[in-house]
Amino acid sequence: MEDLSKLLSRPQLYYNIDGVGELGIGLMVLSYSLLGWMMLHSPETAVWHKMYALFIFIGVISCIIHIGSKAIKSRITYRRTGYVEYLKRKHWATMALASCVAALTSAGLFIAARQHFALFTPAFLFFLLFAVLYIRIIRTYRWKWAVFAAMVVSTVLIAFLPAGLLENLAGHSSLGSALTARTLGASWLTWTAFGVLFLVSGAISFWLYLRHTQPAPRESE
Amino acid sequence: MNEQIRAFSELDRVIHEPGRLMIAALLYAVEKADFLYLQHETEMNKGTLSSHITRLEEAGYVEVEKTYRGKVPQTLLRLTKTGRKTFERYRSNLKKAL
Repeated sequence: MEDLSKLLSRPQLYYNIDGVGELGIGLMVLSYSLLGWMMLHSPETAVWHKMYALFIFIGVISCIIHIGSKAIKSRITYRRTGYVEYLKRKHWATMALASCVAALTSAGLFIAARQHFALFTPAFLFFLLFAVLYIRIIRTYRWKWAVFAAMVVSTVLIAFLPAGLLENLAGHSSLGSALTARTLGASWLTWTAFGVLFLVSGAISFWLYLRHTQPAPRESE
Repeated sequence: MNEQIRAFSELDRVIHEPGRLMIAALLYAVEKADFLYLQHETEMNKGTLSSHITRLEEAGYVEVEKTYRGKVPQTLLRLTKTGRKTFERYRSNLKKAL
């Protein structure tokens, strides 16, 4: 019965067989990190603080990731290990869940910033939870546990960095005064470290995939 | 006859064969997949996989669509509604039986 459940989860794991899933997440996380840096270190009147700029930036990055992933899948993955079309209702359910979580997190952050809550420990726990969710999804690949360990170690190390250093990272934005500059600096640095780790992990997966698979012969089946 | 034994006897024979069970389980989790994907996941050779697919198709559990991806022929497979229901029933019967 357990084997049957494992078999049922294989198509979901297949999405990241070539590391494209992680490359996409890594790129998205690093682009948010870049956006965060620009928001923290640019004057209040800069374009980075405008809502429309935020939407354009996210839209462009999402398009790049979507088109890039599709290109890799159709030119490399589908030719080597086959094509899969996922269940549409599951896809929409995941998107709806992700949107709800994002909306709740944003609302929580907004309220916490207004009330000047101390968010250092919750932020630290959030990143640890993020690392646990990551390994839960791709636990079948043993070497990915090293990525998980690197995520946990970097989260802990960053949390113990001198407060002055973290505050400098947060710049002098109004966000910094609302959320405390130390929390903001630590969150930005951890987020960036996660982005780099996802990219490295995705690149290694992609390289391993190319090494261990060959394009199928043309007369296929 | 107790319930456990009855559950065993009610297991669908077409799906119960390990090779076909693998194919049905993989297809259950997706909308559709191609022959190459099933070959990669099940590690069966073309002949064996093909014969299992034919058996599932004859039972009305799998739908086969021959198409092209560019100039390369592609065989797409999906579980039919009957196939999905049969697989769900098979799972619940197996749960009862074990």
